[in-house]
Amino acid sequence: MLLQQLLNGVVVGGVYALFAVGFNLVFGVQRLLNLAHGAVFMTGAFVAYYTVRAGGPLILGFVAAAVASGVLAMIIEIVCFRRLRKSGDAEFGAIISSMGAGMVIMTFWQWVSQTQVLRFPFDTVPVVIYRFWGLRVSLLQLLMAAAAIAIVLVMAWFIYRTAFGRQVRAVTDSERASMLVGINPNRIYNLTYFISGALAGAAGVLVGLAFNNINFTMGEPYLMFGFAIIILGGLGSIPGALMASLIFGMVQTLSIAYLPSGLTTAFIFSAMFLILLVRPNGLMGREEAGSLRGRR
Amino acid sequence: MALVLDNLSKRFGGVVASENVNITVPKGKITGLIGPNGAGKTTIVNMITGMLAVSGGTIRVDDTDITRAPADQICRAGLARTFQNIRILPENSVLDNILIGFHRHERCSTLSALLGLPASRRETAAMRARAEALLERFGMRHLAEYPAGGLSYGHQRRVEMMRALASEPEYILLDEPIAGMNDVESDALAVLFRDLADSGIGILLIEHNLRFVTRLCEHIYVLDGGRLIAEGAPEAVLSDPAVLTAYVGGEHA
Amino acid sequence: MMNLLLGYQPLLDLFLLHLGLAYAQWLVLRAGVFSLGTVGLAAVGAYTGGILVVTYGLPAPLALIASALSGGLVALALSVPLARLRGIYQAIATVAFIQIVLSLNIYATNVTGGAQGITGIPKTVGTPLLLVAGAVTIYLMYAITRSRLGRAFDAIRQNEAVAASLGVSIVRHQTLAFVLSGALAGVYGALEAFHSYALVPSQFGFPYLIAILSYVVFGGRTSLWGPIVGTAVLILLPEVVRPLADARMLVFGILLILTINFLPKGIADTLIERARGRRLGARRPAEADTAKGS
Repeated sequence: MLLQQLLNGVVVGGVYALFAVGFNLVFGVQRLLNLAHGAVFMTGAFVAYYTVRAGGPLILGFVAAAVASGVLAMIIEIVCFRRLRKSGDAEFGAIISSMGAGMVIMTFWQWVSQTQVLRFPFDTVPVVIYRFWGLRVSLLQLLMAAAAIAIVLVMAWFIYRTAFGRQVRAVTDSERASMLVGINPNRIYNLTYFISGALAGAAGVLVGLAFNNINFTMGEPYLMFGFAIIILGGLGSIPGALMASLIFGMVQTLSIAYLPSGLTTAFIFSAMFLILLVRPNGLMGREEAGSLRGRR
Repeated sequence: MALVLDNLSKRFGGVVASENVNITVPKGKITGLIGPNGAGKTTIVNMITGMLAVSGGTIRVDDTDITRAPADQICRAGLARTFQNIRILPENSVLDNILIGFHRHERCSTLSALLGLPASRRETAAMRARAEALLERFGMRHLAEYPAGGLSYGHQRRVEMMRALASEPEYILLDEPIAGMNDVESDALAVLFRDLADSGIGILLIEHNLRFVTRLCEHIYVLDGGRLIAEGAPEAVLSDPAVLTAYVGGEHA
Repeated sequence: MMNLLLGYQPLLDLFLLHLGLAYAQWLVLRAGVFSLGTVGLAAVGAYTGGILVVTYGLPAPLALIASALSGGLVALALSVPLARLRGIYQAIATVAFIQIVLSLNIYATNVTGGAQGITGIPKTVGTPLLLVAGAVTIYLMYAITRSRLGRAFDAIRQNEAVAASLGVSIVRHQTLAFVLSGALAGVYGALEAFHSYALVPSQFGFPYLIAILSYVVFGGRTSLWGPIVGTAVLILLPEVVRPLADARMLVFGILLILTINFLPKGIADTLIERARGRRLGARRPAEADTAKGS
């Protein structure tokens, strides 16, 4: 039973990783929080749903969702952040601006779906259950785990092994210095946001399939979980976000199984407060110097 | 009675940024701290002003140990500072920028401040009057209502100075106060610093500009590689071979 | 004429209720606290008031005091982790706080009525009382602005290093601002409960948070006029332009993006700055410098 829950937790954690890694990638590069990330995630689910309903195969829906969400995230950066970044004090502004963008996207899907809960056709993913060592794994779970692992691996390769990845890291270190060596930061930002959005969109499709429930508020709890994960993993740290997603997925599955229902969210966020109390920069985040709130 | 750094040290991991630094800043005198770029002046400033944790040694203001005190309590102990890069409150008027300097001397209760009781209003009015007097003394009365962010560089420096003085410190730490100023402006400030010292304030002057420091200070400390390499009267220090070596290739002003 | 005014009474009530929360948000931002938790604290106050009146039969004025206390105390408890955090982390933690309050209110069915919320709250708050509350709130904010507290808040918001170097305790002042804001949010949460018969947990969620933030960002985050102008315009706008009423949240979303990008100080603050510029305009600083003589 416990093992089964842990397995379920790992699958859930994989999907969280898709969401949180993109969220954290953007933060790592620009030091800005994109509060519309939940809405981008939701957009993925809707796009896949409408593709499948129009008769397209699921894989096409998946690709369409990733591309649409990627482009959407790119647009959010251009419309909401680009001007603010030049003005200097973007930290607060970005929160406000992306919150507004999230609101606009949510209203859009509310109109399109007419506030209905949408469900994929019954056999979009055939219901097949595999059993081994006394554990049950559904085809959908396998699909989710495989997709999550594949996407995260490709991204890690992209960031740590390609020229593009080196450029991303250069821009992260210093926008001005990277411009001097001929990197166009805006191009890097476009690509980073595209990746971040595509990951979120993919997560949206998987979550939509898993719960077979697509509605215009589905992004909100994931945004909150995203917060908890990046606090746990350290803002801006990709490996931290990966680890934290898996831990988070397991903790959540276990607490749903063993805690009184309804208390899960309160439990998770209270744990987050405790972490912040002990480690103000997140569990794996680095300390920042020059504190005026007492010497450390 | 003095500001005393006793065997002050700072290590970042294994890297030594300051080691066994002993400095005494007596009241009524201007004490200089010089050194080439990267000598560790900023580290010392940050430790004194509570921005950086001290690894070893102590810092005392008169009889108060401020080694581990947070920045605001250091001000309350009687040590004010100016910043190397001008830091004013750009949205506020010049007058409001100076008013905040009186914070240490504001006594009215939180409740009366909240409710806007007469005690709070009287205090605000009194502080305003004192701020205006300061502005008068610095010849900036006519700029009182201007947003501080729009002032010229020299005026912003003076606003910073007035703000530090408003806290009525026993000691004041001036972090490169004439950087970016022309000779006329810096001469005017030199006169002002002399006046402050004569009024009994102990000044620690951290400067790049050797000419300015030798002209003003009775006693100079020279820092290089995180250690003091010389100290004493300006003429003696400047002819010290160790100091000359440290400054070769540096900026002889 | 009278009928016309009566027609606008619900709108006036709404304006006054939201104005209070807008000031609660304004106060923390003014002190440089990056809190987005105002609606969570309002929920605490609203539930405290609702439960005390409905379950325990306490008179409304006493319950109102209890609401203020509960909002302030919860804020005090929250300020311990918040004081250790900076910027973005404060924002995340306070948004998480809203979520905790929301899920606790849904979970503790015995006390809070769960997802159904609390019904049958006697309506004890009307327009006159709200007007008094609004006047008192504005006066208090004015008094704070003109006191040593307001000066300390301004300094901390603009530059923490400067504030600390002048003896301003950052932690103590931000805690004070946050607790005051919590008490204010608690009071207005309870006023809302006593004004509207019923209370549901989802009332104090993201959309409300965005509305409150919009008022402050759109109106202005520094001057006393900011929340008044922001709340008035954003509440009146959908009424004046009818088609906008159905798309209130869309309008707020777009306005948030436009304001923060193109009018980052908000309407009131920008206008006040322009007025000051004109008043001083006869002598620009540069000319004034040379004209000083001595």
